[in-house]
Amino acid sequence: MAASTGLTFGLLCGWTLSLIWKWFVEYTVIVVNNLTKFYGLHSAVEDVTFTVNRGEVFGLLGPNGAGKSTIMKMVASFMPPTSGSVKIMDYDTVKDSLDARKCIGYLPGNTPLYSDMTVESFLRFAAQAKGVKKEQISSEVRGTVSDLGLSEVRERKIDTLPKGYRQRVGLAQALIGDPPVLVFDDPTGGLDARQSREIEGLIKDLSGWKTMLIASHNPSKISGLCDRVAFIDKGRVASLGTPRDLTEKYREHVSIKIIVGDKAKEALKTICRVEGVLSILILNSSMLKVDTVGETDLRPVLADRLVNAGIPLLEIARDEKGLEDVFMDITGRKVH
Amino acid sequence: MRSIYFKELSLYFSSPLFYVIAAVFACVAGIYFCNAMAYVSLLSTMITQHPSFPGIRMDSVFIQPVFSDMVMLVVFFAPLIAMRFYADEKAAGTIELLFTYPVSDLKSLLGKYLAGWTVLTTVLLLTVPLMGLMGLLTRPNWGLVASSYLGLVFLGGAILSMGALFSSLTKHQIIAASLTIGLTLIFWSVGWFAQVFPGGTAGTVLREISLVNHVSPFLKGSISVKDIVFFIEFSLFFLVLAFEAIDSNRLRG
Repeated sequence: MAASTGLTFGLLCGWTLSLIWKWFVEYTVIVVNNLTKFYGLHSAVEDVTFTVNRGEVFGLLGPNGAGKSTIMKMVASFMPPTSGSVKIMDYDTVKDSLDARKCIGYLPGNTPLYSDMTVESFLRFAAQAKGVKKEQISSEVRGTVSDLGLSEVRERKIDTLPKGYRQRVGLAQALIGDPPVLVFDDPTGGLDARQSREIEGLIKDLSGWKTMLIASHNPSKISGLCDRVAFIDKGRVASLGTPRDLTEKYREHVSIKIIVGDKAKEALKTICRVEGVLSILILNSSMLKVDTVGETDLRPVLADRLVNAGIPLLEIARDEKGLEDVFMDITGRKVH
Repeated sequence: MRSIYFKELSLYFSSPLFYVIAAVFACVAGIYFCNAMAYVSLLSTMITQHPSFPGIRMDSVFIQPVFSDMVMLVVFFAPLIAMRFYADEKAAGTIELLFTYPVSDLKSLLGKYLAGWTVLTTVLLLTVPLMGLMGLLTRPNWGLVASSYLGLVFLGGAILSMGALFSSLTKHQIIAASLTIGLTLIFWSVGWFAQVFPGGTAGTVLREISLVNHVSPFLKGSISVKDIVFFIEFSLFFLVLAFEAIDSNRLRG
């Protein structure tokens, strides 16, 4: 009796564990575990660990040379890590490289493309290489060309295309074959504001139904797209969380920006003794930046003092910290 | 492999490099052909003036010299076809795309190699009209012509395999081509040093690995299994080295 109870209990435990494992595998699409890469004696990436869940957009942020592209290359199976591992949908990128690559659509940094090919022939090649069935290639290419607004340039050689279109072609080759995981290394790099917004729009359209890993050196461009971000500095993860969590976590004090009519010095004298004011910085003859202690909003008090002192108050606003400021706080240097 | 093969063909045929190689190859082959034709014409004139002069053997005075000259064209032009296998992808950064598509390194190597071989064969086919012209003027030994072409194709395959190795080691196409030509010339002339070791094993080895010793029978109309196996083994050896080089490149990143 005891033996059969034990056996049943054991089976139940095993079944539960297998269910938990199955859920974990299905839910956690990218698992980066203690990833390290050495180029000779120089370490490019050291002990990087993070996971990306199904449908999540995960951003890797950091300055140029921080090791983001090296991480992306290892995630995309381009090169193996020195130690540690990357699993894409439970496929190890070294041991099960081909299976892992089947799950990924990768846009490398600088968007390398076969410039002597036409857009259509390149996408056809990408579809064939990704194993799209012969009878589906034409419809797959047509659909991707249409989705990315490449219809009017489909017959043109890639080297004759403007940068914005080249970037779209890069995205198109990553999307072709409908891979569940997309890995984009600096997708808006080198683009002007309008082109960047277009690409950001395309990525936004994909979010939710694709798992995405995006690297960028420009936090302001991708912070709005990402569910979670990791700051990479000197090859290590400096901080990880949602953009909101990170800005909150590293907000030690509230900054207030004040614009007064050419009377910055007088304004400084007026508000310097207000309780809660930590420091005041005169940015120019009419602009000040006031750092305050605690969570209390001092704007009403400051505005009252300035108006009572007869100083023309043109603007007073909280100077919200962006991810870029947070990164500067963490690493002590500018992102780009 | 098919996707890589057709992509490579598409890139070759849309590149000016192919047309320059094809045009120069055809022009120089044409010059060799005209030169051999002029020699035949001179001999014909001598025969008409001196009836005692023995007849002309077209095989030895025309076909063999033309193909012997064309061999040297293959030695110098095949490396130019092979130099872009990987060097071009590395320089353009597209190697990152190629290596992250779900295509094995072996298939990509074979796709590139076979595409290069197809291109070389296409360039060789440009000289077929010259042989047709010869057929109109004389009665050539078509068997000899066919075996000579076969020899050029096998030789080209061997040189392309060396090109694949060097192209996988560098991102500079010109370095890859120079090293391939250099190694080809070493394997070409290595048989000459066999005489230094008469009767010895070293001499035999040098003679056996010499490219010229294995292509010459084809140019004389003799197709032997031994020579075909040599070219296949030679090509496989360098393709295996190229494959290992690609693997090591991946490890180094």
